[in-house]
Amino acid sequence: MDLINPAVVDLSRFQFALTALYHFMFVPLTLGLTFMLAAMETVYVVTGKQVYKDMALFWGKLFGINFALGVATGLTMEFEFGTNWSMYSRFFGDMFGTPLAIEGLMAFFMESTFVGLMFFGWDRLSKPVHLAITYLVALGSNLSALWILVANASMNMPNGAHFDPETLRMTFDSFVGVVFNPDAQAKFVHTSVAGYVAASMFVMGISAFYLLRKEHREFAARSFRMAALFGIFSTVAVITLGDVLGRLDYEHQPTKIAAIEGLWHTSKPPYEPWIIAALPNDAKQESSYEIGVPFVLTPLITHSFTTPITGMIELEDAAAPRIESGIAAVSALRRYEEGHQAADLEMFHAHQNDMGYGLLASRHAPNQDVTAIPPEQIQSVVEQTKPDILPNVFVTFWSFRLMVFLGVFFFVLFAMASYLSLKNQLERNRLFLKICMWAIPLPILATEFGWITAEAGRQPWTVFERLPTFMSASTHSVSYMLFSLAGFTVLYSIFIAVELYLMFKFARLGPEAHGQHDHGADADHLSVVAH
Amino acid sequence: MKIFLRFAGLGLALVVALLFAVFVGDQGPWYFAWAVGTVMIILVAAAGGVLFDAQTEDHVSEGEF
Repeated sequence: MDLINPAVVDLSRFQFALTALYHFMFVPLTLGLTFMLAAMETVYVVTGKQVYKDMALFWGKLFGINFALGVATGLTMEFEFGTNWSMYSRFFGDMFGTPLAIEGLMAFFMESTFVGLMFFGWDRLSKPVHLAITYLVALGSNLSALWILVANASMNMPNGAHFDPETLRMTFDSFVGVVFNPDAQAKFVHTSVAGYVAASMFVMGISAFYLLRKEHREFAARSFRMAALFGIFSTVAVITLGDVLGRLDYEHQPTKIAAIEGLWHTSKPPYEPWIIAALPNDAKQESSYEIGVPFVLTPLITHSFTTPITGMIELEDAAAPRIESGIAAVSALRRYEEGHQAADLEMFHAHQNDMGYGLLASRHAPNQDVTAIPPEQIQSVVEQTKPDILPNVFVTFWSFRLMVFLGVFFFVLFAMASYLSLKNQLERNRLFLKICMWAIPLPILATEFGWITAEAGRQPWTVFERLPTFMSASTHSVSYMLFSLAGFTVLYSIFIAVELYLMFKFARLGPEAHGQHDHGADADHLSVVAH
Repeated sequence: MKIFLRFAGLGLALVVALLFAVFVGDQGPWYFAWAVGTVMIILVAAAGGVLFDAQTEDHVSEGEF
């Protein structure tokens, strides 16, 4: 009888994906709005103009709603690793737990402490001290993301650790190796700056709403200007770091980059097109209806015109000796566990780099035990395991494309927004303002697609080439998983509904409804302009 | 004494900034790029706000944004 129930693994994956995607609806706005609030408050402190304080207060209120609900959805995820992914936690807990603990103890506490001072300290702290607090909130929220992404990067590129055959766990070697992991660096900056884009679109869209209704015009036009400039630079940074991540995937996760590009066979440089649209078929291992731009893929991925990119079918073939070697590694490890013979340990060390492939093969072994594979059936198990090394190509391919298409759209939108704002021609372009308003949720969607690309593309591994996903889950019952999945779906949907209700409510009320437009001398000036 | 302390404080901040730039710029170039880039984005956005004020004062009669 199989020890691992594939239905439980699939439900665990679905539950984690659901909770992560729900949580990630709140995160980007928190990451970006805090720094935008800091920018607004900086102008307030430097110029002393009340309208910038009003801006910091109003957008800060919307940030507060998002922050509270974001925290609520994030807390459960940390427990999920223990409840639903206990095998993973046992195998990788040393590596994963350290950055997660630092996130909780340092970044989250810092962010949560200072956020209280930021909201309630306006009348109790001096201007420069309050500004410093706002910057610390922004830094804390982004440091929080940093540690989460350091943990995530160690799953994609497990630097600073080695597998210990005595404890059967990954052991932490180097803190510097984990923190300065190239994948962590690129992923953190890409994610953080994607949050800036989301916040820019949020502020710009709501400001466009006021400008369309000719309400709070000076407030809205100023907010729009700052958001547009914040957004255009952030979008350029997101695209730059996206390229860095693609390059890292090409070097370290060839299956992910091949799936992202729908590349079944090794590319033929320099002609190889970048596929704009296609219908990849995972079962047949081919794509239909391909539309591409020639001569783009090779320089885009390899930064050269001559380097070929290995296709998925060739990667499958190249994995065959690693699967066989991995079976030898896992078999030697099992024997070493039982007898502690030096020869078994030596055999394990000779094949340990392929251990993950051996664990992957256990899915096709009798009773999921590779030591039970008869020698004459090893090749058959290897052949069955080969397609398992690939992620779901359709999901990876399309989630990446939707993210990229949206990124290009944001670049054009922010460029136009900056130009029209700098030229003071916003109110003449009502259609453009409407597009800005309707575009508010799109950066959130783009970050969701980005997350799906990163996580679906890493499959079939939880820890790349070390631990397969199907061996990482806890051994719950299907009914338990269904019950908790339904619970999370209902609870998180309520959170989203509450967030949307509060956001719409306070955005419609606008800054004046909160009694924040007490401009003094500035008010006369504003009234002149408004007429 | 106050002036000396101010200079000492600023000198210390400068040393810390240089050490940060040398160490993080070498070990974690993208972390460094994020720190510098975020400050730049904030400053550009802030400058946009200040420019808005200047433009509004110049064209106050037009009343259009």
